[in-house]
Amino acid sequence: MNLENTKAQMRKGVLELCILAIVSEQEAYPSDIIETLKANKLIVVEGTLYPLLNRLKNAALLDYTWKESNAGPPRKYYIITDAGREFLESLQETWSELNEAVNQSTINLKQHEQNN
Amino acid sequence: MNKTININLGGLPFVIDENAYTKLSAYLNTIQRHFSQSEGCEEILQDIEYRMAELFQEKLRSKPIISLQTLDEVIAVMGRPEEFGAEPISEPKEQPKQTYHYKSTNTQDHTIRTGKRLFRDPEDKKLGGVCSGIAAYLGIDDPLWVRIVFILLVIPGGFSVLPYFILWFVIPEARTSADKLAMKGEPINVENIARKVEEEINELSKSISDFSKDFGKKKNKF
Repeated sequence: MNLENTKAQMRKGVLELCILAIVSEQEAYPSDIIETLKANKLIVVEGTLYPLLNRLKNAALLDYTWKESNAGPPRKYYIITDAGREFLESLQETWSELNEAVNQSTINLKQHEQNN
Repeated sequence: MNKTININLGGLPFVIDENAYTKLSAYLNTIQRHFSQSEGCEEILQDIEYRMAELFQEKLRSKPIISLQTLDEVIAVMGRPEEFGAEPISEPKEQPKQTYHYKSTNTQDHTIRTGKRLFRDPEDKKLGGVCSGIAAYLGIDDPLWVRIVFILLVIPGGFSVLPYFILWFVIPEARTSADKLAMKGEPINVENIARKVEEEINELSKSISDFSKDFGKKKNKF
């Protein structure tokens, strides 16, 4: 059992949810998504994001448009599709259930810590 | 001094040192190989190139040329494909197996099979490379020991001379990089072959420079 691997698997599971959530707020440029994810320590290397964005796009959960930029070539901006919104809602539900379940399962640990 | 190369990365022009260029192409190739099985490989690569171009732009501000150091910094930010960790969880992980352990059902003996094959080693030979090939096959670091055994067998009446020539005739020479990996029992994959080829090129350039040194000395004598 490798601790780093387990942590990575945990993050991987919620990464799709987070990306959809970020894009659902407003159309996003990959660098903006990266900044938010990095600030929250959800990704370690930027390369992680691109295959994920591509998969979400191929699953028609995300779409993108090209926009002119002042500094350099046109940029790809990602937007969420209707299917993506449904997907996001469903993921969010599962996440709150999971969150609840994990809290319930680890509640004894917390009490134990407090007692110490 | 370093040669520079003009490149177009993600639609932006850059000037890059030659050594950095070699590393950048190798890096992008590794990514391409990593995603070659997935749908949208081209697009992923394109996105990564765009992002790298953007990072170079940020880092270069005052400097005109991408150096190896700048490239290393950008690669550290992007990460190596094995660090991406974004494969679907269900996808099987490819792990080259070096040794296969299998249990024979009749005898309960453990037999260890490696992917090794017996070759003659053309890079380390006194005669035909038979001894060094055998040493590589048996996992003996120094072929000297195999040679000593052969020579000791010769002394009491030329016992191993004929078998040596038979082995020379029968065992194939390791010609390709894949043969040489199989000779040492290393898994044959793209990375290893590339490494082997690189080693051979280094070896070659070393012997060329040795040769030219020798040649120079001889010339001075005349």
